[in-house]
Amino acid sequence: MIRLLHTADWQIGKPFGQFEPDEAVLLSEARFLAVERLAMLATEHQVDAVLVAGDVFDAQTVADKTLHRLFNALAGFPGPWVMIPGNHDAALAESVWRRAERLDALPANLHLCLRPEPLHLEAANLVVLPAPLTQRHTYQDLTDWFDLAATPEGALRIGLAHGSVEGILIEAIDSPNPIALDRADKARLDYLALGDWHGAKRIDARSWYAGTPEPDRFKANDAGRALLVELDAPGIEPRVTQLETGRYRWRQETRTLRVASDLDALLEWLGALGGDDVVALILEGSLDLAAHRRLEIALGQARGRARSLRVDTQALRLEPTVEDLDALAADGYVGEVIDELREQQGGSDGAVARDALALLAGLLDERREKRA
Amino acid sequence: MRLSKLRVEQFKQFRSGIELDHLDPGLNLFTGPNEAGKSTLVAAIRAAFFERHRSSNVDDLRPWGESGVAPTVMLEFELDGRFYRLTKSFLARKRCELLIDGERFEGDDAEERIKDLLGFQQPSRGASKAEHWGIPGLLWIRQGDAQEIRPAVEHATDQLRGALERSLGEVAASGGDELISRVEALRLELLTAATGKPRGEFERALKQRDALSTQLAELDEQISRYRQRVDELARLRAEHQRDQREAPSRALRERLEAAEDQLRQAHERQRRLADERLRAGQIEARIRLLRERLESFAAQRLAVDERRQALTLSTQALASANAELIAWRGRLEQVDRARRLSRDQLRQARQQASRAQLTQRIERLDDELDQRQRRLVQVETAGQRARQLTELRGSNAIEASEVEALRAEQARLRELEIERRAAATLLDFTLDEHGRIELDGEALEGQGERRLLGPATLRLPGLGVLRIIPGGANLSSLGARHRELSELHAERLAKLGVDSLHRAEACLVEQRELDSEARALEATLAALAPAGVEALREECAARRQERETLIRTLAELTTEAREPALDIAAVEAEDERLDGELREVDQALRQAQLRASRAQVQCDIDERELATAQAALEAPERTARLDAGHREEAEANAELATQLARIEALERKLEADQPDIIAQDVERLKRSVQQHERRFAERREAMTRLEVELESLGAQGLEERRAELARDLAQLTRRCDELERRARALDLLLERLRDKRQRLTQRLQAPLVHHLERYLRLLLPEARLELDEGLAPVSLTRPGAHGVEHGDFDQLSFGAREQMGVISRLAYADLLKEAGRPTLLILDDALVHADESRLAQMKRVLFDAATRHQLLIFSCHPEAWADLGVAERRIPDLVHAGQGASTRY
Repeated sequence: MIRLLHTADWQIGKPFGQFEPDEAVLLSEARFLAVERLAMLATEHQVDAVLVAGDVFDAQTVADKTLHRLFNALAGFPGPWVMIPGNHDAALAESVWRRAERLDALPANLHLCLRPEPLHLEAANLVVLPAPLTQRHTYQDLTDWFDLAATPEGALRIGLAHGSVEGILIEAIDSPNPIALDRADKARLDYLALGDWHGAKRIDARSWYAGTPEPDRFKANDAGRALLVELDAPGIEPRVTQLETGRYRWRQETRTLRVASDLDALLEWLGALGGDDVVALILEGSLDLAAHRRLEIALGQARGRARSLRVDTQALRLEPTVEDLDALAADGYVGEVIDELREQQGGSDGAVARDALALLAGLLDERREKRA
Repeated sequence: MRLSKLRVEQFKQFRSGIELDHLDPGLNLFTGPNEAGKSTLVAAIRAAFFERHRSSNVDDLRPWGESGVAPTVMLEFELDGRFYRLTKSFLARKRCELLIDGERFEGDDAEERIKDLLGFQQPSRGASKAEHWGIPGLLWIRQGDAQEIRPAVEHATDQLRGALERSLGEVAASGGDELISRVEALRLELLTAATGKPRGEFERALKQRDALSTQLAELDEQISRYRQRVDELARLRAEHQRDQREAPSRALRERLEAAEDQLRQAHERQRRLADERLRAGQIEARIRLLRERLESFAAQRLAVDERRQALTLSTQALASANAELIAWRGRLEQVDRARRLSRDQLRQARQQASRAQLTQRIERLDDELDQRQRRLVQVETAGQRARQLTELRGSNAIEASEVEALRAEQARLRELEIERRAAATLLDFTLDEHGRIELDGEALEGQGERRLLGPATLRLPGLGVLRIIPGGANLSSLGARHRELSELHAERLAKLGVDSLHRAEACLVEQRELDSEARALEATLAALAPAGVEALREECAARRQERETLIRTLAELTTEAREPALDIAAVEAEDERLDGELREVDQALRQAQLRASRAQVQCDIDERELATAQAALEAPERTARLDAGHREEAEANAELATQLARIEALERKLEADQPDIIAQDVERLKRSVQQHERRFAERREAMTRLEVELESLGAQGLEERRAELARDLAQLTRRCDELERRARALDLLLERLRDKRQRLTQRLQAPLVHHLERYLRLLLPEARLELDEGLAPVSLTRPGAHGVEHGDFDQLSFGAREQMGVISRLAYADLLKEAGRPTLLILDDALVHADESRLAQMKRVLFDAATRHQLLIFSCHPEAWADLGVAERRIPDLVHAGQGASTRY
């Protein structure tokens, strides 16, 4: 039985611009750690080869240090690594791969397929048919040649490609780098290892997207996996097992605050956030000042715990109650200003009014504390 | 607050002290001349309250020139029903003591209490300044400060506002101003106060963001260039590989070689064609020569005919020319004869004319000669007379002046004689009949008288001699002068050769007549012979000679005169005509001769040429040569035909070859090969260059850097957005707060405005004074001549501002009083700029105010305040006894 570890879309060097620099650094770092985990998993499961279906790098021109670091991360698995370039790291006339060659960064156990030529791994008696991207985008199916590729009798035929399987992925409509839906069938492949789609996804019994081993966006699509593929013999359907490889949990959450218990639930949810959570929280509805203070405190605490917590409060209104105002001792014209701002929250520049109101409340609060 | 007593000691000019006692709870008027110490009293009150007793900056309180003194002020006043006594000493003895209803406070404690009580502050160190003075600073008007109200109000704003808010109760927001200033401060962290432009951190963030986004754009540009180059490299490689595989340059080279071969062949043919054409040309030339020879043979026969014909013609011409010649000769003879005849006639006519002329001339000469000879005789006669005259004249020439002198001398002599006779001694004698006397030898008898002009001797016969000498020198001098003049006269007469004046005058008349005649003669001579007698004589001679010559000439004339006389003009005209004709005929004759000789020459030439031509035609070898010529021509023609055929064949071939096109092909292919090779080389170079470039660019990690930059930019953008949101929120908040506060202020000011209007009605009915937010008067509105006038407070006249300043303070005092604050008003020489009517109104105002407040008025114009309704107190009267003694001014 042959075992393969199928992975893709490492996107090494990916920036995380929407995050604070310290968070972004950790998220970038996590991608190297994911590769190291993959190597460990490969060793652990005693696979015959690791197939990497493109987009190893997020960009062509990454720093030398990044390059070395990535290839060093492969050291945990001494067996063969088979890689093809994807659209982010296509084998152009000058590419990250050429640089890696020049820098002598490529380890000996790495089989880099820059040309569409069969790669025969004799130890496992399997032939990898690679469809490397030599342009950033192509509108022809680079896996066409698999159909006619001759392989030794008895050897497993494994396809390795990067692109959009036609007709399956909604986002892939009219997208470049197309791959025929029935490629595995037509080319008599025992397994087609696909890359480009960041979630783990089964196309058919022999065709799978592995997804990225470490999530990199707020999209619940089974990212953070690698596939363990077990092949008994040519012609027999493979067994595919999903392995967890991701560390960070990316979540996007929208909460509407209407009644007091909504806030309680939210606070509880926030309380549960941990160091591996990367969260985008959208808040709607309205709050009184006391609740707003509680929320601010809770958000502050959660930010300290979560890897990243971004909160969008554009659609959140402040509704100070009579008690709030009493507590703030906002009498006279200051009280009138509060009333005006509160009303204005519903208007065209509502967010500004809300901010102004929050600011005023904060100042009044501050003053009250000082007096007390 | 009611001040009841003030005592000052060792304070400025009050060395020994002054005391104001029993102060009125309302109006108090203190007067005194300048330097009396009014302002010093005010200063004492201020020092007692404002200056710390410990202060070392109060040297100015010391009397001049004294050290070691302790200026001291003691005040007693009542406030809120309690009695206060404040005693403060400075410098030498620093002390402060405050009694409140008998309870005693000292030092700083006392000062603190006073400060809070009156609503002012004290400096932590140094002298007290205006900003510390608060309410007293506003209500205690210093000399010349009444119109300067704004700073004083600013320093008391808090207290005033406090008073207003207290009166309004809950309307104001608690700590609203503090809140506003807090918001302002927060806003100022992000935006400039005036224009609301980003500043500080916000501005930095925006700039940084812009800088980053520029950097990012640059990096993007670089990356884009990098990608283009990668694509370029891929394209070059593909082309390079295709060239290597397909080797198009080799095919091109083969085609080039083939074309070059073709071109060489075509060139060879062209050369041959040129050779053949040259040969054909040579043959053609030979044929041309042969034909010319044959033609020359034919021409010989023709030439003989031509010559003969020419000879016939020239012979005919000769004959006609000769005939013409003979005719012209005859004509010439004819004309010549006629002309000779006419010549003869002409000569005769001319001689005839000359004779007539000569005769005429001789006649005229005769006349002239005759005339001149007559004149000559006249001239000579006149000349003789003239000579006579000259002679006459020359013998007795007497000048008119001489005659005049003679006349004068004679007149003088007569006068002298008369004088002498008058002066002479008269000898009147009457002698006896026989008496005889002798006077100077003259015997005198009878009766008579004699005038004795000089000494005389009178002989009296028988008696002796009487010697009479006339008296007086005059007579003798007269005698001398008479003598002298007589001598002179005689001399002159002698010189003129006359014996008397009469004679001289006669001579002068005669002489004048002669002169007149001579002048007439001269005129006659000038008329007869203007050029002189000699000239006249010569004229006569010349004419006589000419006459002789002419007579001789006339005698020489051969022809006789004949009748009738020939008409010379007609004869001359005929002669001239004949002369012309002769010349014409002669000319024609000469032409005819010329023609005849030319015709003769032509005739000779034609004859000779005819002979030559005939000789040639009859030469013996001519026939043989003619035959040979015909034969040669035929041969050459045949040869030419063959040659032309060859040329045509060659041309056809060359036309098919199109060597120029082949040459172009060669050039084109050659260039193509070169281009191809160059392109190949260039591409190889470009590839190498690109590879190197991309290697180095790739090593820069452009996209990773871009990623970092993009991340930083995104973060900064978020930051900017946050700051902007905050700024906008602060803006909004501030705007709202200020707006509300503004409205509130207006409401707040209402009570103050009410007080102001009470006074203003007294001073300027219907006027309105607007206040700014700081409660200071800002503008005045009143009915004017042209409707409502509205003006800035600062633009008002000094006097008006002063008055407004005072009533504003009174209004503040009312306000403070209502709020339970102590009020004491001090006017030090205020309102000095008010006119009489305004001052009268102000007095009403002050009197009204004094019903609510205590007022201390200091003035150096007691008469101006006489109707204030309060007794003045003269400061000099209040000074302690002995003051004058210790004052050292």
